[in-house]
Amino acid sequence: MLEGFGPILRKDLRLEVRTGESTVVLVSISVLILVVMVLAFGPAGARRAEVAAGALWTALIFAGTMGATRALLSERESGCLRGLLLSPVEPATIYAAKLSVAMIFMAQAGIAVLVVLVLFFNLDFGGALLRLLPVFLLGIVGLAALCTLLATVSGRVRAGAMLLPVMVVPLFAPALIAGSKASAAVLAGQPLGAVITWLKLLGAFDVLFVTAGYLLFEHVIFED
Amino acid sequence: MKNPISIGLAAATCLSMVAALFMVFVYVPTEAEQGIVQRIFYFHLPCAWVAFLGFGIVALAGGLYLWLGHKVWDDLSYAAAELGMLFCTLVLVTGSIWAKPIWGVWWTWDSRLTTTFILWLLYGSYLLLRAFADDTDGIARFAAVLGIVGVLDIPIIIISVRLWRTIHPAVLLTRQGEHGLQDLRMVATLLVSLAAFTIMFVWLLWMRVATLRLRTRIVRLRRTLALRELAEAHR
Amino acid sequence: MDHLGYLFAAYSIIFLLIGLYVIFIGTRQARLEREVRRLESELRKNEPPLAPADNVEEIKTPGGV
Repeated sequence: MLEGFGPILRKDLRLEVRTGESTVVLVSISVLILVVMVLAFGPAGARRAEVAAGALWTALIFAGTMGATRALLSERESGCLRGLLLSPVEPATIYAAKLSVAMIFMAQAGIAVLVVLVLFFNLDFGGALLRLLPVFLLGIVGLAALCTLLATVSGRVRAGAMLLPVMVVPLFAPALIAGSKASAAVLAGQPLGAVITWLKLLGAFDVLFVTAGYLLFEHVIFED
Repeated sequence: MKNPISIGLAAATCLSMVAALFMVFVYVPTEAEQGIVQRIFYFHLPCAWVAFLGFGIVALAGGLYLWLGHKVWDDLSYAAAELGMLFCTLVLVTGSIWAKPIWGVWWTWDSRLTTTFILWLLYGSYLLLRAFADDTDGIARFAAVLGIVGVLDIPIIIISVRLWRTIHPAVLLTRQGEHGLQDLRMVATLLVSLAAFTIMFVWLLWMRVATLRLRTRIVRLRRTLALRELAEAHR
Repeated sequence: MDHLGYLFAAYSIIFLLIGLYVIFIGTRQARLEREVRRLESELRKNEPPLAPADNVEEIKTPGGV
């Protein structure tokens, strides 16, 4: 059923290793957003954990949408999409592969953001960051699932690249609330048990969108 | 527009709307605590109801379009989204006007307000997509997927926003008079308003779908004309 | 507790927006009807060889790619 998953994944990763474009773009955008947030809110203060968590998720959401747009646009421009659609690979498999690639790129950007975050906000490396990991991973799965499904619109619509965040932000809102609240709590030193409700919510969001993407992807990926 | 169903719906809308207005302004007693502004509620809630109805139809018609592939489902989905946006806007505006004298602010991040606002944004992005994109089958399918995913997202939105607000409760007056319709006349008024808005929704939906059907027909006529010109040129 | 202004504002906005929307649909409908008539007469003008446009069935798109 997942025939073709490996080759697509390998191709995208190899391309990335050779050019490094997505990594550079994503990491620099997310770090820039972080800088903007720090300049706007100031790095110190009692609400440090909350501002840091907010900055993390803002950076992720916009870097994520931009990354997904870029990935699909280049695919369309190079004619690779047409090739994929003509191949016997199932659309759902293409979705799974693209989702994995998007997750890897977002995780990269996220790790870069986390490192900068710790430095900018004088957070401690260690326990809090480790506990942030599950929150962060659950958030990335949902965001990647959503972006991969909807990014297929880019290149087909006027202002398509701008339209993607407009569609993604309201849909991602529940995960954004859960993710930033959980991150803030964890960064403030609370144990994971305290944020279990948020984690469950993130999990439900992920399950919903990965399933929806897997089932519906065949309807959104095509050439006009 | 000049067919019996449309005229019948228009007449039913007018009649029921007049009845609802009469009940709201003449029949129903004034609520004790909030006074006269509480009467906004009798049209506020029906707006919310048809906005939700619109959202449901967007997803349902979208699903039917993906399944059956007939353009009429896509047109229905588009029309329902537009109406949903209209009534969602009305919910926010009338809610705001109601909140000002009761809560003292136009807007607060109360859980219901926030949820409605996120739904409004969802509708907005759907309509932006429709406005920017050409009317192709591909875009119609994409819009159907967006509509379905949006509706599936609603329960998660509601739960998350509710949790978000209970953790940081709003230090404002609690909403009153929303459930406690003590008087039977209040319930009757609300029910008549709900019926009036539902009929109006169906009427508007009917008209808007007719317009969209016409648009689809024009696209096909143009296609036929173009094909014919091509054939002439080759002869 | 006299908030008549608010009440009035709420109800007038409801009917104003809905009224505007009905007008929008009406003008749109009229314009499209004109366009359909124009296209149909144009079709009839250079008709004979092909079937009339009204017989064109709904075009169904398959569910998949």
